[in-house]
Amino acid sequence: MPLPWFKRSGLFFVPTTLIGWLLLMAALAYAVYTFIQINNENHSVSDTLMNFVFSLLIIGAVYSLIAFISIRASKTK
Amino acid sequence: MEQMNFENTLLNMSKPQIEELKHQDMLEHTIIKARDTSLLSWWWLSIPLYVIAAFCMKSFFMPGATLSTSIHEFSNKQHYLSILLFIIVPIAFILLNALSILKIYSIFGGVSRLKVIEETWFNLLMIVLSLLILITYLI
Repeated sequence: MPLPWFKRSGLFFVPTTLIGWLLLMAALAYAVYTFIQINNENHSVSDTLMNFVFSLLIIGAVYSLIAFISIRASKTK
Repeated sequence: MEQMNFENTLLNMSKPQIEELKHQDMLEHTIIKARDTSLLSWWWLSIPLYVIAAFCMKSFFMPGATLSTSIHEFSNKQHYLSILLFIIVPIAFILLNALSILKIYSIFGGVSRLKVIEETWFNLLMIVLSLLILITYLI
């Protein structure tokens, strides 16, 4: 598996390899799944959005942690 | 003929030149690492900042609700999560960013403080935000 899977671009880690893109797709798919689940549980738009943003931030934080570790691992090699 | 060639070779020879200094390369790597650290900090700190912003809005729109009561209510309901978001995450990122800044400062050799601030302003911002989160939670 060629490292690094991501490169930093502004406020985001952009995938550069297939594994990176797969991870991004998985994160986006999970975000959509979370949105649908939250939307089914809540009855107002504001409730859905407030809870979804919180989940989205957690998904983004975990994604950035994976990207950060992969970049660090490639530099220590 | 051979002697002439040798003389020409000597004339063409100059001092060995190093285009990039090792130190410069090291500095560049350290700055890139510091920027990666600041970006990671931004994503993780955005979670408690979002919670604080939501509580601020709640205190603004709901009569009787204040930021500190909302945070206490949250910490009673989600004890471990609140400790993770409001204490562990900010302290960890204060340490990480401070280490990055110190590393850059030591490589710069303490020559130009303005240049260090210019290169690490986002790390400094992350430290300030972490302190803000800690103070908001602990008060």
